[in-house]
Order: sequence, then structure tokens, then C-alpha cells
Amino acid sequence: MEEKIISQGNLVSFVGELIKNNCMVIGEDKKGLGWKRITDAGEIKINHKDIPSNISYKEFLFPKTESIFYYKNKKEDYELVEAPEFKDKIVFLGAKPCDARSIEIMSKVFNWDYKDKFFNERADNSIVIGTACNYQDEFCFCTSVNLSPSTEKGSDLFLVPLDENTYALKIVTEKGKEFIQPYAKYLTDGNITRTQETLAKVKSPEKKFESGKVREWITGNFEHKLFDAIGSTCVGCGQCAFACPVCHCFDIVDEECSYECGRRMKNWDACQFGLFTLHSSGHNPRDNQNKRYRQRIAHKFKYYTDKFDEVLCTGCGRCSRGCPVGIDIAQVAKEINLVANQV
Amino acid sequence: MEEKTFEPKITAFVCNWCTYTGADLAGTSRLKYKPNIKMIRVPCTGRIDPVFITKAFEKGADGVLISGCHPGDCHYNTGNFHARRRWVLFTELLNYIGIDSSRLFFSWVSASEGKKFVDVVSNVIDTVKAKGPFQQYQKINKEFVLDE
Amino acid sequence: MNELKQLGKDLLQNGTVKVIIGYAEGTTPNRAKPFIARTPEDAEKLVFNKYCVNNLAVYLTRKEYKGKGTVGIVAKGCDVKAIVQLIQENQIIKDDVYIIGMNCNGAVADLGKADESLAVKCLNCKVHTPHLYHTLLGKLEEMPKTEDENLKMIQKLDAMTAEEKWAFWEAEFEKCVKCYACRQTCPMCYCERCIADKTQPRWIESSAHTRGNFSWNIIRAFHLSGRCIGCGECERACPAQIPLTLLNRKMGMVAFKEFGYSAGMALDNPTLVGNYNTTDREDFIK
Repeated sequence: MEEKIISQGNLVSFVGELIKNNCMVIGEDKKGLGWKRITDAGEIKINHKDIPSNISYKEFLFPKTESIFYYKNKKEDYELVEAPEFKDKIVFLGAKPCDARSIEIMSKVFNWDYKDKFFNERADNSIVIGTACNYQDEFCFCTSVNLSPSTEKGSDLFLVPLDENTYALKIVTEKGKEFIQPYAKYLTDGNITRTQETLAKVKSPEKKFESGKVREWITGNFEHKLFDAIGSTCVGCGQCAFACPVCHCFDIVDEECSYECGRRMKNWDACQFGLFTLHSSGHNPRDNQNKRYRQRIAHKFKYYTDKFDEVLCTGCGRCSRGCPVGIDIAQVAKEINLVANQV
Repeated sequence: MEEKTFEPKITAFVCNWCTYTGADLAGTSRLKYKPNIKMIRVPCTGRIDPVFITKAFEKGADGVLISGCHPGDCHYNTGNFHARRRWVLFTELLNYIGIDSSRLFFSWVSASEGKKFVDVVSNVIDTVKAKGPFQQYQKINKEFVLDE
Repeated sequence: MNELKQLGKDLLQNGTVKVIIGYAEGTTPNRAKPFIARTPEDAEKLVFNKYCVNNLAVYLTRKEYKGKGTVGIVAKGCDVKAIVQLIQENQIIKDDVYIIGMNCNGAVADLGKADESLAVKCLNCKVHTPHLYHTLLGKLEEMPKTEDENLKMIQKLDAMTAEEKWAFWEAEFEKCVKCYACRQTCPMCYCERCIADKTQPRWIESSAHTRGNFSWNIIRAFHLSGRCIGCGECERACPAQIPLTLLNRKMGMVAFKEFGYSAGMALDNPTLVGNYNTTDREDFIK
């Protein structure tokens, strides 16, 4: 594939022009939630050597709360008004492979039996500028879920930091190629050997478990007593689901704007919440935290793979780092793998 | 275009046995007061959870009045004593958040105090009218609305 | 902490307790996490150190531990406050809990960080030795003196104008994602059906817009007034890093100033909002 070089200075100018052209440039931000809309190109930082943000950037593809339609009360009738179409161009800048892949993975479920226009409008208008990752800690496990620090799949353009002031820019998809065309003036010719040498030096997290083995074991062991232990300290706070780049459950609620009109909202939801599976009859099939945690593991490593041939996990480790009670999903999968191997 | 003078919307949570009856007495005595208040009858002020107050502000109230039996006269003996403590805590909380707690009014009005009811309500309406609309809550009510 | 492991083993072996809720090592050496020891072998994993910041009392109100035998719990002073408050509020029976009190020299504010400064709750702690326990373990050591930045911030907020305060809290609550992690990690939030989950009528909107966020945070702060024991778990759990201790600690200070009440101290203290005094303040009531 085509490869170019871009200097740090040119990257800043490129982003500056994007902002001027009304693109929503989303970059990492250490405070608050972790990703924000960049208004000043001078503050961009490609955090390839640093810990991932608290929460993923899925907020911009799949907002924590959004209106899907409005209704107006008229005397004898009501009128439905569609939510305004999302037309902005979004550029995700500096997404590590564990973040970059999230769009493709989520796209599968949002284009399955129903084409979710709210997600698609945003995803179709997005460009992902990924970056090779030079960070890892005890919570990273991208290599256990079919990814690596240099995976380009999922990005439209991929930056490889060659030194403090230079990046290789790989053009991964047609979409990326078309996008970068008008900005070719910021690029110079690539040096494939140098890029390959740099990538060869990137350390990958060691593989902690076989996701295939985990999937196989869950298939035959739904009632296994291991599940009583692993979820026993979970408090059901939902931090894991909300921080995760690929968790996508949502709740639909109706609200009033005023006496005359209202709206239907789509909000983030989590399978770890106690009332997630409460039926209107009062029955709750997942009535304790063990069952709910089992659902999380099974959905990520088995059900999603069965349906869409993707593991619903990118190994970013955010859920484990942020878990208030220290539940580490990689350790859980490792334990399952161990038990599976003993059989 | 003629400028409409601001008319405040006041929500009043009143206890059934004292204040509500007091308001009724005001009515049967043909005492007049401005129509800005909407009364919500609760069995006792002890029933009032501050979530009612935040809900009233969210729904567009510019002021909230809470009124019940005098201490010692509660129909359920102690409801208003419990409520009294809550109100101290809640007003402190509102002040700390930066919400004008002077838009929140409390009174004890008994079943025979029709005149007092009218005085309290008129005072509330006049005070809130002078303060103007409740900008803070109106601003946050403007998210996710249709542009007319 | 060998005496802890030994005690745990003994208690489980001779059936004094059915389970022990304690701490075990986390994924990295500078973390600890809650751990449920069910067998004497499990007790080998029990640890106690400065990384044991979690408030384990949050597990005591779970259905699976009620009426199923005595539950052992490894508790620091702040955790014992939660246990005492829960007993005061009739959520757990005193005889159903076996408290393994730990002399505590402070816990870190945030796990897994290079900065190991102490948690806010440790700065003014008066219960380094817990005030209620069945067995006491551990040794007290000299603790470093740390500036109470949290208190300074509360005082700064108190001095702000209403507009400034509103602007501060609006910026904070905007970040809220309504994950309810604050509620779930709080030992005092034990309601089986939280008011935020009630839908007919809907008192607190579940959407994460500013209005819904204000509603939730204000009401939770109110429902905790006079009950919050100041463990700070809500702030630590919040993925959006909202400074909830500024809110809950302030309400604790209000409860003390107005009513002389401190949550979680004496077992026979009447609860603040569950009781009343005929001489309570009413100068603001017409």
C-alpha cells in the first residue's frame, strides 16, 4: 500500500486546515472523559507512548444520550419529527489499533437485521487516523484478541512514529486515500525500509489466552461454578461497559421537552445493571451479579463471535484499569483458558 | 410587539390536612389571590422528597412553595418534624450547587389560616416576580429540543 | 499480613464465619482488590496494605449474605463507620457480622498510579484504630502529614458567588455518563429499587444530558446527607472524574454544623434524617 512521510509540523498544519474546513477533529485529552473535539491544532498530541484514555471515543459515534425523534402534541393528533441528520465530518486522530478497530466491530451489529442510521451516519462520515502503539502495561492484551500494536485494519490512515518529529503515513483504505488527496501538500515520499525497521522494534504484549479456546469452553459450560467466583465481587457499576470501545447496548426512553412536545432518547446501557433484563412481568432472568458478569464474558468471547466472527473486545484494558473492584478481564479469560486446558 | 410582563409559575406542595384546607377556606371566604400558583396536594409534608422540588424546577417552575401543618399539629403526629430536618439539608445543598434557594419557600399554614395562606402565596408570587424567570434551569432545559 | 491469613483460616475452618470479605492482590503489585474467601485455602490470599482502599461494607447488604450465617469482613476505620451506619439503619444485624478490625495507616487515593498520595478520607481520619471490631489486627505507624486540598476546595467553593458555583458544577455534571458507578460502590446506597430507576412516574431522567445529570447528582447528594461516611469510593469509581467528595463531604459538614451529627460513629446514635428533635431549626419557615 502507499506510504508517505509527514513531519510533526506539517501534521499540525494539516489538522489546522481540517479544523478550518469544519471537520470535527477528535483527539485525546487527559482530563475528563479522555477524548475531545480539538479546536486548536497546536494542542494535538499523538499519545502512542502513553496509557489509553479513561473512556473510548465511541461517544462521538454512539453518543451517551441522543434524540432519535421528537413528537409534537396537536389537538387531536401528534406529529413525529425525525432527529436532524448528522452531516459533520469526523476525524479521529491518534487512535491506537485497540480503538481504531472498534468502528468495524460495532458496525457489524449496527448493520445486521436493522441498519442503525444513527450509528451509520456518523461512521460513514468518519475517518480514522490510527497510530502504531508503543505503550503496554499489565492490562493490555490486544494480542490475545487478534490485534497487535501495529495492526492497520480499522484505520483509514495509519501513522507510525519514526522519531520525535516524523511519522510514516500509511494509506490503508480507499476512503483514506480520497480523504488525504487534497492535503497531499503536507506529505513527502515514504521510506518503507525505515518504517519496517521501526515497526520491528515495537514490543507486543505477550499473549495471555486463546480467545478461541475461551469461546469453546463457554459453549459447554454455561452453568459451571467458575462463574460463581469470577463475578462475585462485581458491584454492577457499568464502568466497564461505558469505557469499552465496543460495548454497544442502549436503552430507549421517552421524555418531555415541554407540555407540547417530547422526544425519544437513546442512552447508553450496560448488561451489568441490575434491571437490565427485568421483564415487565417482574421476572429477571439475570437476577444476581454472577449471572450478569457471566453474560459479559459470554457476549464478548462467544455470542458475538458466533454471530459476526469478531471478538467483541479489542484488548485495550480500560475496563480492568478503571474497575473499582479490580476485576481484570484478561485474567478472567486466562483462568477460563486454564480450566479449559485441564479438561 | 407588546412585551408581555413576566408572570412567574409557582408550584406549591401542600399538605392535605392543614394547608390545603386552609387554601380551601381562603376560597370559601372569597379571598382573592393571584392565579400563578399550581397546588399539588400531598398527604403530609413528610411525603415530600426533594426530588419533587427539582422536578418542579425542571418542568418550568420559577418558584416552589412547601407548606404544611404547624409543628405539633401534624395529622400523622411527626411528619412535619421529619420534613423540617430535610429542608435544612436541602437548602444548604442547593446553595452549594449555586441554585438560588431563595426561590424555595416554606411555611406552616393551618386549616383555619385562610388569610395567612393568601398572604404567604402573595408574598411568594411577588418575590419570585421580582427575581424574574429561573434562568439556570431554563437554560439546561434547552438541550435536545426542536427549533421552532 | 500473616496474622490476617491465619485468623481467616481459623475462622473459616471452625465455622465461625461462612465467608470472609477481604482484599487480595490486584493485577499489579501496587493494587489490591476485594476478594471473597470461602475456604481456609482461600484465606491464604488475604492481604492488607495501603492499596486496600475499597470499602467492603458495600457487599454486606447483598441478598446472598443475609440470613445465611455470619459474614466475616476485613474493615478499616472508615469501613467500620459504614458498618455502624448500616446497623443504625437496620440494614444488617450486628450479630451477623464478624468484624476483623485493621489498624490502618492510610490508603492511597488512586490505585495503579505512580503518585501514592493518601485518599481524602485519610487526611482527617480519627479512626485509624476502628471503633468497633471483634478482633483487632495490624500495627499503627506514624503517618505523613498531608495538606487537605479537598477541604481547601470546599472552602473555595463556599466563597464563590452563586453564578460561579453553578458554572463549576455545570462543567462537572456535563461529563456525567449516568453509569451509576457512584451509587453501586457506595455502601449507603442499598435501596433495592433506587429512585432513579422508578419509571412511573420518572423522577430522575436516565439520559446523560445536563438536566438529567443535575437531577441525579443533586438527589443522590441529598439522599446521602447525614448518611455518607466519607469513604470517597464514589469519586474513585467515577469514570468521568467528577469530584463527588466535594459534594458529599460538604453535606457531611452541614449535617455536623446544623445538627451535631456524624455518620457511622456510635452504634446507639439515632440516625439524622430518621429522627427529629422538637427544637430543630425553623427560622426559614414562615
